[in-house]
Amino acid sequence: RVAVRVRPLSKRETKEGGRIIVEVDGKVAKIRNLKVDSRPDGFGDSREKVMAFGFDYCYWSVNPEDPQYASQDVVFQDLGMEVLSGVAKGYNICLFAYGQTGSGKTYTMLGPPASVGLTPRICEGLFIREKDCASLPSSCRIKVSFLEIYNERVRDLLKQSGQKKPYTLRVREHPEMGPYVQGLSQHVVTNYKQVIQLLEEGIANRITAATHVHEASSRSHAIFTIHYTQAILENNLPSEMASKINLVDLAGSERADPSYCKDRITEGANINKSLVTLGIVISTLAQNSQVFSSCQSLNSSVSNGGDSGILSSPSGTSSGGAPSRRQSYIPYRDSVLTWLLKDS
Amino acid sequence: MANVPWAEVCEKFQAALTLSRVELQKNPEKEPYKSKYSARALLEEVKALLGPAPEDEDERPEAEDGPGAGDHALGLPAEVVEPEGPVAQRAVRLAVIEFHLGVNHIDTEELSAGEEHLVKCLRLLRRYRLSHDCISLYIQAQNNLGILWSEREEIETAQAYLESSEALYTQYMKEVGCPPLDPTERFLPEEEKLTEQERSKRFEKVYTHNLYYLAQVYQHLEMFEKAAHYCHSTLKRQLEHNAYHPIEWAINAATLSQFYINKLCFMEARHCLSAANVIFGQTGKISATEDTPEAEGEVPELYHQRKGEIARCWIKYCLTLMQNAQLSMQDNIGELDLDKQSELRALRKKELDEEESIRKKAVQFGTGELCDAISAVEEKVSYLRPLDFEEARELFLLGQHYVFEAKEFFQIDGYVTDHIEVVQDHSALFKVLAFFETDMERRCKMHKRRIAMLEPLTVDLNPQYYLLVNRQIQFEIAHAYYDMMDLKVAIADRLRDPDSHIVKKINNLNKSALKYYQLFLDSLRDPNKVFPEHIGEDVLRPAMLAKFRVARLYGKIITADPKKELENLATSLEHYKFIVDYCEKHPEAAQEIEVELELSKEMVSLLPTKMERFRTKMALT
Repeated sequence: RVAVRVRPLSKRETKEGGRIIVEVDGKVAKIRNLKVDSRPDGFGDSREKVMAFGFDYCYWSVNPEDPQYASQDVVFQDLGMEVLSGVAKGYNICLFAYGQTGSGKTYTMLGPPASVGLTPRICEGLFIREKDCASLPSSCRIKVSFLEIYNERVRDLLKQSGQKKPYTLRVREHPEMGPYVQGLSQHVVTNYKQVIQLLEEGIANRITAATHVHEASSRSHAIFTIHYTQAILENNLPSEMASKINLVDLAGSERADPSYCKDRITEGANINKSLVTLGIVISTLAQNSQVFSSCQSLNSSVSNGGDSGILSSPSGTSSGGAPSRRQSYIPYRDSVLTWLLKDS
Repeated sequence: MANVPWAEVCEKFQAALTLSRVELQKNPEKEPYKSKYSARALLEEVKALLGPAPEDEDERPEAEDGPGAGDHALGLPAEVVEPEGPVAQRAVRLAVIEFHLGVNHIDTEELSAGEEHLVKCLRLLRRYRLSHDCISLYIQAQNNLGILWSEREEIETAQAYLESSEALYTQYMKEVGCPPLDPTERFLPEEEKLTEQERSKRFEKVYTHNLYYLAQVYQHLEMFEKAAHYCHSTLKRQLEHNAYHPIEWAINAATLSQFYINKLCFMEARHCLSAANVIFGQTGKISATEDTPEAEGEVPELYHQRKGEIARCWIKYCLTLMQNAQLSMQDNIGELDLDKQSELRALRKKELDEEESIRKKAVQFGTGELCDAISAVEEKVSYLRPLDFEEARELFLLGQHYVFEAKEFFQIDGYVTDHIEVVQDHSALFKVLAFFETDMERRCKMHKRRIAMLEPLTVDLNPQYYLLVNRQIQFEIAHAYYDMMDLKVAIADRLRDPDSHIVKKINNLNKSALKYYQLFLDSLRDPNKVFPEHIGEDVLRPAMLAKFRVARLYGKIITADPKKELENLATSLEHYKFIVDYCEKHPEAAQEIEVELELSKEMVSLLPTKMERFRTKMALT
């Protein structure tokens, strides 16, 4: 599902006389191209004046007085509640916030204390549900972790400060547990206040580290993960159901790290200047030339059914047809972010 | 020209360059281009100090400067013209400034202005572009224009500029040859001018980048072979000019080999992989240059990872080569066709004759010692399709060697998916080797090895996270048991007296195959254990095949008990019926399993009759 939210003009934008060119109409967001608009001829070009994009949800949050105004609560009722219901069923959910620095991602995800955003509301929702459904005491367990990815390095934002320098965590795969971050601290929380406290602690950690290396925190991705374990009955036996909510605050889209031009290679036809990216170009070449072969399936003939009782000739390699496998191997170049969120 | 001492002009220029090189992140957060704007101001000052541009348009017709002007702008010059005299010298100096202004505007995302300056630069230099003084700058300006046009998504225009640079370089090296002046030297005092060696190094670097940009352009134009060729050349030049980091270079070469493998160009693939081995072995001896990525504190880890990855590339080489041979030599039931084998043997001689000529056309890495080292590795590996068991076995053993090497790094705890893929490759190696094996007992043993390595994997894996992989393994194990069973049946066939021992074996294998096909089919059920009404596209063919094989397996259970036999036939019929019914309801499925559907329909019509005959026979006894 994709939702778009429109924020009010900032002080600077108002001062500079900026105009709102976005319009929301149901599930469609429209953008007006001012340059085309100003031409004298009124007809023939109207298509290019306004461009429309469809979304699952469009939120107009420009003016609180507006009857159409989508408040934090409105956003939560749509998106947050869906997260909660999915989690109750045992699904893993992932919620991304994407946009330029200053576009309001943090406001939507976190929000100021006066009007909290999705993350605190979702946590609150989980605790309320626990109170409701808990006939037994510890029937739900909630743990949180908070990590940051910068320049393909993972950092625990909730690590007890004992180290002076932030160290990198390794991302691994476990047969039982799936992909995980080795050494990432998980903190049990039993009430809403604890969650907010941890959130603030993690955010403070991001900013501190950022000023230390002269980078804006807008360059890194942050993932706040809620591990939600419920006690359930499965075939009349007590069992546990675990789900994960990943709340991802993506780096400001305009500030992608210059030495990691992957996005620039794959979109459009941009040429990359530095030879550092030679590996990526070769990988893309190899990837595009891949052939998916069915598991050792080389022809589609098969030996006949035959009668039982008559021993028929060996079939050798009859058609495979198993779920496909690749013919070649491309050395691993996926980003850490993609890999971590694979299972949701 | 204004009366400002030349030294001052140079100083200003150097200051501008220094500012240009300031990293963007060192600027204040809200003004990322501050240093660029300052540099620009300085460059404009220098430009003003140099005076107006000389007019030289009177000699040529008003040709546009874009590449659309046909041959004029981008064509090759007829002769070398040196920029002699004060007018020419001023033109060249201005050209340098225009170049830097152009790049500056591009860096601040002002493409139009950037283009203007770069085009002006080209115009100023055009007459002298083949000269020792100007060629490097000219090529660099064209290259930057190429990059600019690629950002505007006009890839053909980019291509034109870059190809022009390429041609110019080639012509220069042929007709002039001596290392040209580097553009930065224009504004340096005499004593700071570069050595011949340094000039050559920088010029060659420009050309290497030229090739690299062309590789990217060809990729976008979907001229993949050409793109690969240019990537190959880029790699080659990195070696020649010692501008590489061994680990990074090796993994790039190994990755390129995978492109060649996909195109079935095994000689080229082998060359890339062998070179990867040799260069990787240099780790620790060569220091990093400015072009290499940093990997502080992670080098040992990275070393082992890359080693494992290169090993996996080798595995794919061996596997694909063997499978390719199988494809060309198998008959319509997947067995080795002796006629086809003889045909290929006859072809072999021709292939060996052509080898030299193919090798000459291919891009070869390295010269001298390096070349010898790479050849030494190549000699141990065949690039030709194996034609018999002996040849196949050699490739198998090499592949197996690399399986063990890959597993050293890709252990199951930490790299589940990768580890399993390596094991699947190992299993595939055995399977394709079995194709070449003539003795049936030995073939059985190979399938047994496969099962032994695959079965433990299904136990530990969490099906929630590894669903696809689990399915693949279950299906493969089932198929291995299936093949084993058929082999045992054939073996029993040849015996005069199939004893109870072998019958038991056959039935056990049958049971095991059934078990795993059933596990696979069960994995398709929803959380309420209901089999889907509509099977997803990605698992449709395997699901249908599984059903088909289950049907066949039930029909092949050997039992003396007639009641049991009837039961088995009934179950078999049930499964054949499922296939026919499903394909009726879902015509797209019918397309996926044409052959099996035909056979299923046959069985659905034959089996009831057979069962009836059976019942009558039972009633009589």
